[in-house]
Amino acid sequence: MEKESRIVFPGELVSDRPDRIAYAYIDKGKTYSTVVGLFSDGKLVPLEGPYEPLPDDIVVCIISEVRFSGYSVDINCPYVSFLSSREIRERYEMGDAIVARIVKVDEVKNIDLTDARKLPQGSLVKVSSVKVPRIIGKKNSMIDTIQSSTGCQVTAGRNGYIWVSGAGDFSLAQKAIRMIEAQAHTRGLTDRVASFLKSGKSR
Amino acid sequence: MMGGSKGEKPVLFENGKRIDGRGAGDLRPIKIVCRVLNDADGSAYIEWGKNKILAGVYGPRECIPRHDQSLYRAVVRCRYNMAPFSGMEEHGRSGPNRRSKELSKVIKEAFENVIISENFPKTQIDVFVEVLQSDGGTRCAAVTAAAVALADAGIPMKDLPCAVAVCKIDGKMAVDPGKEEDNFGESDMPIAFSPRNGEVLLYQMDGLLTREELAEGFALAKEASAKIREIQADAIRKVYDEPKEERFLTIIKE
Repeated sequence: MEKESRIVFPGELVSDRPDRIAYAYIDKGKTYSTVVGLFSDGKLVPLEGPYEPLPDDIVVCIISEVRFSGYSVDINCPYVSFLSSREIRERYEMGDAIVARIVKVDEVKNIDLTDARKLPQGSLVKVSSVKVPRIIGKKNSMIDTIQSSTGCQVTAGRNGYIWVSGAGDFSLAQKAIRMIEAQAHTRGLTDRVASFLKSGKSR
Repeated sequence: MMGGSKGEKPVLFENGKRIDGRGAGDLRPIKIVCRVLNDADGSAYIEWGKNKILAGVYGPRECIPRHDQSLYRAVVRCRYNMAPFSGMEEHGRSGPNRRSKELSKVIKEAFENVIISENFPKTQIDVFVEVLQSDGGTRCAAVTAAAVALADAGIPMKDLPCAVAVCKIDGKMAVDPGKEEDNFGESDMPIAFSPRNGEVLLYQMDGLLTREELAEGFALAKEASAKIREIQADAIRKVYDEPKEERFLTIIKE
């Protein structure tokens, strides 16, 4: 974030050499962006986009179907993900919110999950998955800010599902998350969110 | 004379000026607003002259019916629809007719060439285009708006396509025909470009042109497409310059 980043559009040149850059493609020895994103220091960060599941992602998911040998879960992407009963000791019902880790994504995007844990009573906030790193913040700074000033427990899944639980001020936490989502590409956001939360609490 | 013309043919090109006062290479005023629909993954609204078009993109999402899905790539779908109240002539009931099926097909094929669909096997990407008011050149405006909507949805594309038509009016080549020029002109040629390398994504022609006229028209279209690409980029940039938490349809103020 130190260096000024510029906004790039699909088809815009990001490098004169064939560089392997995520969200970019190579054509005739040059590299072009495929998305609307922020480009700086040879790194392209998309500003919008669907969630692309990767192994080792921690995701918040909703049980969508109880099957014979496990569960089908909704992880905010068009593919079916499966949580085998062998991986877990708890029992879930349809609609339960869990947090889990992706073990494997194959070439036709069948997704296997593991390390599942049931989430406490709470509410789901859906955001764009590309904004999640900003909601978490550097070393959890943003989540810590939200948690300490609202009293809510916030679990951010890499897939864009944010689970807000606990007896705190849910609507304030939700507003803060929405604010981060809308302004994720701007600087100095942590301070602005902190002052927003402060003013929201006094009301 | 081309189809759809009614009444007397007006003078279309006189003293270097066209019927609405434009020069041969001038576009009508174009305004694009990106991200206007709350529930769509990406959306755009375009006012191109008197055309008013809304484009929405949904997906990638599960491909239904299942027998249409591909294990190798996302299926791109497009629905172009003209509202029954959109034009001077009767468009009848909305819904697929010969014209809208053709336009849906050509728009879909234009986008199939730029969307990197291999990233999303077994899914579909839906592009919906609703023409609320039409005044000639809706397919070009539709491609331009849908491209912005796709970029807003974050769907990986090789380029941000844009489209413009050229026409032959009173023996002269001119860019971006309006309704009268479309109806009473000699020829009409919509072209969609990939502005990065000048690839042609959509190319249709109505009427007759000589080789020289065609080359001249193509050059005019290419020149105009660069301007359109700028307007598209500005529309997307505006979303991030003035971030909003709620999306809603913003009516463009004069």
